[in-house]
Amino acid sequence: MSTIMPSEQGPGAGDEEPDSAEPRSGRPGTEPDYRFTLANERTFLAWIRTALALIAGAVAVLHLVPLQWSTGPRLTVGLALTALAMVITVYAPVRWLRVQHAMRRDRPLTTSALPLVTTVGVALVCIAVLAGNFWT
Amino acid sequence: MSRPTRDPGLQPERTLLSWQRTLIVLIAVTLLFMRGPFPGGPPGSDGAVLLRLLPALAVAGLAGALMAHLRRRWRRSGNGYRDPGSGAPPAPLARPWALVLLSAAVLVLAVAAGATALLEPVP
Repeated sequence: MSTIMPSEQGPGAGDEEPDSAEPRSGRPGTEPDYRFTLANERTFLAWIRTALALIAGAVAVLHLVPLQWSTGPRLTVGLALTALAMVITVYAPVRWLRVQHAMRRDRPLTTSALPLVTTVGVALVCIAVLAGNFWT
Repeated sequence: MSRPTRDPGLQPERTLLSWQRTLIVLIAVTLLFMRGPFPGGPPGSDGAVLLRLLPALAVAGLAGALMAHLRRRWRRSGNGYRDPGSGAPPAPLARPWALVLLSAAVLVLAVAAGATALLEPVP
């Protein structure tokens, strides 16, 4: 058996199962280098872990840690973390699909606003936590 | 019969470990969530046990199904050596439905964490 190095993969060559749910006609372009596909998959998983960490923070604030805060700031901080996690979870698979399509068609990757949104959101939550600690 | 060289960056292994890490975090966060005050009575009462059983079984089943899916594809690719179709190391490791299922599960967990806080009686 000779080894076939996939320098020239056809569309869908990376799929081992024929999958009728994915029409080949709807997937123009060529499969990108497998390393890029795997990196894209890991990026998706890293976003999911980020969302899970935010949920853990929300659960701690909302349910577990006996904070001496009033209900208002506690709910605000917890629900802000939950909302941020929800945005990330919805966005992660969409982003994964977009990047995969762009790589398949050899198009430039668009930058996304989500890292900025996450950063600003977490910073605001930090400020709210400080405020909640000092003004109650 | 020669094998193709393993990916020098161990990309398939890293992706598999990334999946495992994510599933472990999902289970850990779910357990953390279930430690909190749940509707259905104090911890230990029948109602509380039943209400906790449902999310516990759901998450265990989900993580088990995803892990089985990954292991099956992993074994079929000769532990990350090559995709049976193309000969390259396997890409991607999971089918798209696994990604969508995982995000949906995390979304449900986020909604549950927020909703139970809102529905919880104010002490």
